[in-house]
Amino acid sequence: MYFYTILVKRQVLMMLLFEVKKVLSKPLNKAALLILAAVLLIGSFLTIRDVRYIDADGNSSTGISAARHLQEDKNQYKGYLTEDVLKQVIQANAAVNASSESQSDDIQENNKAAANEQAFADIREMINLAFGELDNYDYYRIDSVSEDEVGSLYEQRIAGLKNYLSRDDVTNTFSEDEKQWLINKYESLDTPLYYEYADGWKALMDSQYLPTLMMITVLIIGFLVSGIFSDEFAWKADSIFFSSKLGRGKAILSKMGAGFAITTVLYWSVVLLFGFIVLAVLGFGGGNCAVQTGVSNWNSIYNITYLQDYLISTFGGYIGSLFIVTLAMLVSAKTHSTVFAITIPFIITCIPPFVGRLEAFARIMTLFPDQLLSINKNLEDFSLYHIGGNIFGSVSVIIPLYLILFCLVFPILFIVYRRTQIK
Amino acid sequence: MELKMIKLTKQFGNFTAVDHMNLTMTNGVYGLLGVNGAGKTTLMRMICTLLQPTSGKILCNGKDITKMGADYRKLLGYLPQDFGFYPEFTVKDYLLYIAALKGIRPVVAKKRVKELISKVGLSKAANKKMKKLSGGMKRRAGIAQAMLNDPKILILDEPTAGLDPNERIRFRNLISELSEDRLVLLSTHIVSDVEYIANEIWLMKDGRLLHQGTSDELIHSMTENVWKCYANKSDVPTLMKRYKISNIKSEPHGVELRIISKEKPFPDAVMEEANLEDVFLYYFGEKAGADDAVI
Repeated sequence: MYFYTILVKRQVLMMLLFEVKKVLSKPLNKAALLILAAVLLIGSFLTIRDVRYIDADGNSSTGISAARHLQEDKNQYKGYLTEDVLKQVIQANAAVNASSESQSDDIQENNKAAANEQAFADIREMINLAFGELDNYDYYRIDSVSEDEVGSLYEQRIAGLKNYLSRDDVTNTFSEDEKQWLINKYESLDTPLYYEYADGWKALMDSQYLPTLMMITVLIIGFLVSGIFSDEFAWKADSIFFSSKLGRGKAILSKMGAGFAITTVLYWSVVLLFGFIVLAVLGFGGGNCAVQTGVSNWNSIYNITYLQDYLISTFGGYIGSLFIVTLAMLVSAKTHSTVFAITIPFIITCIPPFVGRLEAFARIMTLFPDQLLSINKNLEDFSLYHIGGNIFGSVSVIIPLYLILFCLVFPILFIVYRRTQIK
Repeated sequence: MELKMIKLTKQFGNFTAVDHMNLTMTNGVYGLLGVNGAGKTTLMRMICTLLQPTSGKILCNGKDITKMGADYRKLLGYLPQDFGFYPEFTVKDYLLYIAALKGIRPVVAKKRVKELISKVGLSKAANKKMKKLSGGMKRRAGIAQAMLNDPKILILDEPTAGLDPNERIRFRNLISELSEDRLVLLSTHIVSDVEYIANEIWLMKDGRLLHQGTSDELIHSMTENVWKCYANKSDVPTLMKRYKISNIKSEPHGVELRIISKEKPFPDAVMEEANLEDVFLYYFGEKAGADDAVI
C-alpha cells in the first residue's frame, strides 16, 4: 500500500511536470515570461528612483548611496515619537522656515532648505495630518502648531476622526456601532509610535508599483495557464487524453496542480524578488514601524507594521491571483477556449477600477477580487462589513472570502473537466 | 475479451448518429466500413468513453464500461481520426507523457517507449519535435501511443487517412502485426485498408449496421453481378445514371467500365469476380466514392 501511494504520487508529479512543460514550451508563453521579467526590472528601477536624497548643496540623487545618506539623516529621529521628539521637530521646522535658504526665491536655495528638512520630513507630515482635517491635507499646517500642543498629536488623530464622522456629509454613512468601531481602532493604535528610516518599505508598500506589478503578474500568469485545459481541444489531443486510464482523474489533478504551481512559483518569485531588490537598494530597516508613520497610511484603521503590511498585502495578492487564475482555468475547461479564458483576468482586474468610480457600484466593488491585488493601497479605506454581528474592515473580509471561494472553485474545475464529452 | 453493445444509441438533438446497435466483438480485427457521416466515429467515441450513449450500453466482459471507469480505460488503446499531439514535445516526451496518462510506471514506460519507437520506425526521430514530423511519422507516433499500455482493445479511427500509398501499406502491415491477441476495431472509408487485415467487416450506414461478415461473405451477399465492358466516353454520364459504376478507366478508343448490375448491361459485357470495393458501392450507392473510397 505504501509503495502504491509513492508510485501514484510519482506518476501525478510526472504528469504535472509534463503539464508545466506544455505551458513553458509554447513560444508565446516564453515571450510572456520575458515581458514579466522586464516589467519586474522596470518596476524595481522606478520604485527605487522614487527615493531621493538632497545634499547640502541642494542637488538631488537616487540609488544606494542616496538611500544610505537619507537613512543617516532620518535615523537622527530614530526611536519613539514622544512629546519631546515632536517638540524637537517643531523647533527644527521653525529653524528651517527661518533660514535664508527657505525664504529665498531661488529654487536651488529652497532645495538646500529641503535638504535640512528631509531628516524630519516624515514626522513633519504626521503633524500636518494630525492637526489638519482628515480629508483635507495642508502642507503648511505644522507651521501653526505650537510646541505646547504638538504633544497631543495622537489625541488629535482620534479627534480628527471623531470630527470627520460627525460631519453632515459623513454622519449618515456610518451607523453608531460603525463609528464606535472606527474610533476604537484609532484608539487601539499603540502610541507613541516607533520611528526610524523606513523609506525602502514605504517605497515598496505606499506606491502604486506593487499593485501594478501584482496586476501584470496575474495577467501574465492567466495568459500562461489559460491554455492548460483548453489547449487539449485546440491541439485535438483531447480524445487520447480522456480515453487514457488517468484522463478523467489524476491527469486532471495534475493539470490543476500545474496551474497552482505556476501561479505560486511565478507570483512569489516576482513579489519576493521585487521586495528584495527594492529593500536591498533602499534598506531593510523600518519594517517594524507602524504603517501610520507613512504619509499614505496616517488614517489607516489597520494597526500593523510595514512588514505586516507587506505580508498581508502579498498574501492577499496571492489569494487573489489563485482565485482569478482558477476562474480563468474554469472558463478554459468549460468553454474549451483559451482566448476566452485569457480575457477573464483582464475583465476581473481591469474593469472594476472603472466601474467602481460609479457611485452605485463603489461599495460592492470594494469586495471584488482586484482589491486583493492592492491591499496596501486600501489601508485607509473605511468600507465596513457586518458578519455574524461583528464589524470588519474590507481587508479582513476579502482575504478569507476569496480563500473560501478559491477552495470552492478548485473542485468545481475538476468536476467540470471530468465530465467533458468529445463530440 | 468481449465487448458487447446493447441497443446502443447516440443522438445529437434530432439527429441520430448511432441507432440501436447490437454488436458483440471478441479478439480479432473488425473493419468498420461506411461513408462519411455513417456514425463510425461516434460509435468509436462511445466505445472509448469519450461520449455517453443516449441510451443502451456497452459491456466489457459483462460489465458496464461507464461504471468500470479507469479499470476499463486501462484496457484501451485509441488512435482518433484527428490525431492531435503537443507540438513542442519531442516524440519521446510525447510518448512518456501518454504513458504517464495511461498509468504506466516510469521505469516500465521508458522501456516500452523505446521498444515502440523502434517498432514504428521512429528511432531516428525520437528527439524530434512532434510538429516537425511528416504526416506518416505522426500517424506512426499515434499508433505507438495507442500501443503503449499493450491494450486489449485497440480502436483505430481512420488510421490511414491522408497517408500516401506507401505509408498506407506500411501502416496496414503494422496494424496487422500489432493485432494479435487483442480486439481491434478499425474504422475507415478506404476499402483496401480492411480487405486484407480484418477478420470481420461491418458495413455501417445512417447509424445502423447494414451488413456484417468476412470479406467473402459480404461479396456473396451481393444480389447483383459485376460486369466489365467498354463504352464511348460521351456515353458515361448516361450510363452512370442507369448503373452503379465502381471503376472507370480511360482507354485509347473509349473507356473501360466496371458496372454492378443484375442484368448484363451490354451484349459484349464480361462477368467479373466481385471485390470489396464493389460491395461498398453496391451497399452505399452514390455516396460511396464521394471521397476516396476507390483507390
